[in-house]
Amino acid sequence: MNLTESIRVALDSISSNLLRSILTTLGIMIGIMAVIAVVAVGQGGQQTIMKEMDKFGSNLFQIMLDWRRDEPPTGNEFTMQDLEIIKTNVPELKYLLPCASSYSQIKKGSQTKTAQILGTEADYARLHPLDITAGRFLTNSDCQSRRRVAVIDEEMAQELFPRDNPLGKRILIGNQSLIICGLVKSDSSPLALGTKYVYIPIRVWLDIYPEGNISYIEGSTRNLEDITLAMQNSIKILEKRHRNEDIYQGVDMEQQIKAVNKVTGVMTLVIGIIAGFSLLVGGIGVMNIMLVSVTERTREIGLRMALGARRRDILLQFLIEAVVLCLLGGIIGMVLGIGCAFLIAALAKWPPLISWTTILLAFAFSATIGIIFGILPANQAANMDPIEALRRD
Amino acid sequence: MIKMEHIHKVYRPQSNPVNALQDVNLHIKTGDFVAVMGPSGSGKSTLMNVMGCLDTASSGTYWLGGVEVSSMNSDQLAAIRNRKIGFVFQNYNLLPRMNALLNVELPMLYAGIDKEERSSRALDCIGRVGMLNRLHHRPSELSGGQCQRIAIARALVNSPDIILADEPTGNLDSVTSEEIMSIFQSLHQEGHTIVLVTHENDIAAYASRILLFRDGRLNSDEVLSPSPRTIPNLVMNGDAL
Repeated sequence: MNLTESIRVALDSISSNLLRSILTTLGIMIGIMAVIAVVAVGQGGQQTIMKEMDKFGSNLFQIMLDWRRDEPPTGNEFTMQDLEIIKTNVPELKYLLPCASSYSQIKKGSQTKTAQILGTEADYARLHPLDITAGRFLTNSDCQSRRRVAVIDEEMAQELFPRDNPLGKRILIGNQSLIICGLVKSDSSPLALGTKYVYIPIRVWLDIYPEGNISYIEGSTRNLEDITLAMQNSIKILEKRHRNEDIYQGVDMEQQIKAVNKVTGVMTLVIGIIAGFSLLVGGIGVMNIMLVSVTERTREIGLRMALGARRRDILLQFLIEAVVLCLLGGIIGMVLGIGCAFLIAALAKWPPLISWTTILLAFAFSATIGIIFGILPANQAANMDPIEALRRD
Repeated sequence: MIKMEHIHKVYRPQSNPVNALQDVNLHIKTGDFVAVMGPSGSGKSTLMNVMGCLDTASSGTYWLGGVEVSSMNSDQLAAIRNRKIGFVFQNYNLLPRMNALLNVELPMLYAGIDKEERSSRALDCIGRVGMLNRLHHRPSELSGGQCQRIAIARALVNSPDIILADEPTGNLDSVTSEEIMSIFQSLHQEGHTIVLVTHENDIAAYASRILLFRDGRLNSDEVLSPSPRTIPNLVMNGDAL
């Protein structure tokens, strides 16, 4: 008996007990579904984060106050003077700029909106891929002469000036009136969560929020290799100037990427273990039902032997049936898993990533379970005595 | 065609030995139509199992179509069953999920015959038992007599050396039994070698030779007169009833 015939017989036998077959493969279905969905969503998320990080460029670092400390780091905040000193003493640096942010209100006439107000300098546009769609970004002269100007993102502009050209218009932040000098494209990435941004010169920000401080420092180097050194030297200068240690925390993008990979790695491992157990239970279910099937079909086995089936023909028939059963479960699980991945991804607003490797692995896994858990029942069938088997009712 | 010499079959030789066959010597020629009779426990089923290569004798030699099969392994025996023996059972043993045509094709699957050849040979055999109008019926949709016709077609499909029929009319009424026996009779006339197990005299009467078994031994071997349908006294008075 050749393979296609065996598969046909297997499908026939499975379809004649359809409900039982579906229930049998439920464990495998769920296992494969979980793996596919979680891997797809996980990889999609990882890719999204990576893309986001790519935007910053990998030769970027940030220094912030260590938030993990118990006491608030009062008196150690970054000052504009700190930045000047770091710039002159760390030659590897290409850019170094202060960032101060507050989530607060913007007024235009009677309208009030909220946005992320980011006080920074002109070089911010060199460290981040901002897309200037109208006017200009902040300039060095804006920053030095504390010009009351603001760059807002398009979504903010749309909300504040649905009909007019926002350039040259005035908005009120805190007690300061600012002129809009440029528009940037809104951050459409899922991680931005729809936050709107307003960029203003750092000194203007500090005027608006006299209680506020520079939240973090961003820098980049000419050469990627120097990034850790430049970051460490900058921290050393800060520590020296503030006479404090372990209070400034630096991160570079390499570290961030490593951290993300570590998290996704652990997640994959955990899911893998859960899926492994689910597939094990599913496999035992398949074995159980195959044993039942062998007993039920004792007469058929006896007849096939009488008609000339060798032991290995019978073995192969039941093994193929177990594999086909598992593969069917696997395929249904895969379809459901892909569906789930799209659903979750739609809710999480990032694209699912379904790779061929995942699909092939799922296939291989289902087939392997079929073989492993099909061996025992198939062997039992193959070792039947044809006379005994034919006599059975 | 069949030659058995000093065939013994002992079940449970260690604990509680049962001598199912004792020193059976037998010669069946090509074209013979042999009825095997005897009371239950006489060894006729065991003889059929050994003859059908479903079981091997404990001792003795068995030649089938010039090949000694008594020392073959299970794969070789499977091939012998497939190509040289056509089984017809009392309860038909058709696979319930397959239609008549597929049931008849089944032995050819194990003979590795390709699809076109399978269906043409199956159609030919189904035609010989007059069932071409029921090709796509499943066994549950057929009467007992129709099932047995399909089973006979299945037995013929690999052109076996012998047809082994084990109580082929045991589940059938007398009219249908006659129909089935007339099929065997015409197969006999075509030159097929047939071995038939039965306990009914009027069924045995279709054969040209009757072997009577008792207590695992061949008790008598009677060649009937060419005119069938007459039941010899020997059998009438035997234990078959």
